[in-house]
Amino acid sequence: MSDQDLVVETVRDLLGAHELFVLTPERPWDEGLWKALVDTGLTGVGIAEEDGGSGGELADAVAIVRTLAAGAAAVPLAEQLLVAAPALLAAGLPVPPVEQPVTVAVAPAVTAEPDGDGRFRLTGTVPAVPSADVATSVVVLVGGAGGPVLAVLDTAGLAVTSSANLAGEPRGTLTFDATPAAGARLSAEQAESFRARYALARSVQIAAALEQVLSWTVQYAGERQQFGRPLAKFQAIQMELAEMAGEVTAVTAIVDAAVQALDRGEDVVLAAAAAKVRAGAAVEVVARLAHQVHGAIGFTQEYRLHHLTRRCWSWRDEAGTELEWSRVLGAGLVAGGGDDLWTALTRVV
Amino acid sequence: MSGDSLTLAPAPRSAAAEAVRLEVREFLAAEQAAGTFVPHVDTWLSGVDPAFSRKLGERGWLGMTWPKEYGGHERTAMERYAVTEELLAAGAPVAAHWIADRQSGPNLLRYGTEAQRREILPRIAAGECFFVIGMSEPDSGSDLASIRTKASRDANGDWVVSGAKVWTSNAHHSHYGIVLVRTSPADPANRHAGLSQLLIDLSLPGISINPIRILDGGHHFNEVVFDDVVVPGDMLLGEEGAGWHQVTAELAFERSGPERFLSTYPLLAEFGRRAASTGDAAQLAALGRLSARLLALRQLSLRIAAALDRGELPNIAAALVKDVGTTFEADVVDEVRRVVDVPASMDSPDPLGRALAEAQLHAPGYTLRGGTNEILRGIVARGLGLR
Repeated sequence: MSDQDLVVETVRDLLGAHELFVLTPERPWDEGLWKALVDTGLTGVGIAEEDGGSGGELADAVAIVRTLAAGAAAVPLAEQLLVAAPALLAAGLPVPPVEQPVTVAVAPAVTAEPDGDGRFRLTGTVPAVPSADVATSVVVLVGGAGGPVLAVLDTAGLAVTSSANLAGEPRGTLTFDATPAAGARLSAEQAESFRARYALARSVQIAAALEQVLSWTVQYAGERQQFGRPLAKFQAIQMELAEMAGEVTAVTAIVDAAVQALDRGEDVVLAAAAAKVRAGAAVEVVARLAHQVHGAIGFTQEYRLHHLTRRCWSWRDEAGTELEWSRVLGAGLVAGGGDDLWTALTRVV
Repeated sequence: MSGDSLTLAPAPRSAAAEAVRLEVREFLAAEQAAGTFVPHVDTWLSGVDPAFSRKLGERGWLGMTWPKEYGGHERTAMERYAVTEELLAAGAPVAAHWIADRQSGPNLLRYGTEAQRREILPRIAAGECFFVIGMSEPDSGSDLASIRTKASRDANGDWVVSGAKVWTSNAHHSHYGIVLVRTSPADPANRHAGLSQLLIDLSLPGISINPIRILDGGHHFNEVVFDDVVVPGDMLLGEEGAGWHQVTAELAFERSGPERFLSTYPLLAEFGRRAASTGDAAQLAALGRLSARLLALRQLSLRIAAALDRGELPNIAAALVKDVGTTFEADVVDEVRRVVDVPASMDSPDPLGRALAEAQLHAPGYTLRGGTNEILRGIVARGLGLR
């Protein structure tokens, strides 16, 4: 068993001990599961020990995020492991303690005024921040006239308006009012690569969730009997499941390739764009067919399917919509003129 | 490992593949500049140019993975993948040799006699010997086991073949066919038994080749009729009665390559040119959506090439890629025409209009040839454990 398998086993064991529940404003996340993840050191994987983490590779962090996503775990660890910590380290900024949840926000409408050495004051509002009222710190990518700034600050004292995505996951609006923060200026490329990391993190989650949705649907079709035989024996159902499998396999292939490119230290903006767009397109097909095969039971809150389909319907819009990333990908591929699309395509991953 | 796995491990990076990719790219740019060819859609069906095939043979880009003793070049499936992908993306005329290089050669290598291999494989690798697939018949399409073309031994031990094969691409330019025949009567209890593959020289007496025109008027398909054709006894390919098994192995090669998602790439290339020049947001987004699908398909197809290099025959994964890939090929037409104001016409003064027309008129074929998508999904369903 590899280290990665071991990590996945550990996460699965933890998930097994924490039941899924319908997220509500009163109970917007799984604090117990988070504590268990902290106790096993999993909230610091992929972050070096000298930076306050528990070591391990990007691949380990991705494996954890995948397993949690497939289990519909209500913890904001993808943001922490795949986006916030690596971006802060790359920018030479301090990583908040890994025992506390960290979230991320892309905030083009927020401005950053320099406030001394490595300090800025942030002003403005950013909506739809994941786990805004759960996380104890937030990593913000700020736009503005002086160029992009990556800032990190405590959420304590920030004005938060709570909201939720389609799955009930907490998504809040943060308002900054000359709020002090540690920060660093980023180049346009570094800012774009932060957004790409975020999009890739969501793509990883979608890929894992869709794989699980397929597996649940195959299982359900094998168990549910109608007309005296399992649904899975009907050719019409087989065609639908095969179509789902095609989508899931395609998403996994491009997401894996983008993650490997990230691991090699390549510029992954177009790879992440492709992964996010492909994953979003697959959500459409896989979620629709999964619900169709499950029938009415899948349409209820008492059955497990919605924990993943609702998340996928939200995740495909988060970290940049498909339309936004399609434009980034399309424009990026012909940035050097339209005559050599093929060369551009073969360079993406 | 068996071919029953739905998902495959990611492909490793191959420096050799990237190197040969650049060589092919350079060659194609020079050929295009010299006016040797004009890019077209679906050229692996319609772009017959034996002289071009010979040039590829001279450069060592045919029979790439085969042993040197049979004229091959002992390179990896990943390298071959890069070569075929570049040829397709450029819309180069590759139809003459395509079937021979892709599946007939590997089939001969696997099941052929030593004499058959020595006689034929070096000629395929040189781009001088072309093949057709003899599977479908007028009354047998998806239900391949129901074929009725018969072969029986005569007193000399030769095979006497009667029946007809259809959709045989470019039979009128080809030298041989690998023909699936019934060598013993159909057994309702075991429909796959009693089938064999014969290696048939298409110049033999009693063979007639009749054109079947496709929607754009092009002559690529044929009906090949066998009227008591006497085929030498030593032209049995593989084992008598093992035809079904052999055909299944052949299909892994037939279904897994980049031609299962790049047939309409020349249209996408033309569309990319258009989107770049207009800068239109809807066109750039459509280009992005289509490119995301294509990039995912490339990764899937690369995984299959890597699996072939590991000695696997990934039948189920190949069926899945072909289903997703050929759906994409047809969707390119639909997506592009939603965002450009260009009517599809073979006579269009606009190259995009001509590419749309070619791709549209060829479109019904993408999801039929090499196994319909319904058949492929049945195979995928088996991979999911549903059958």
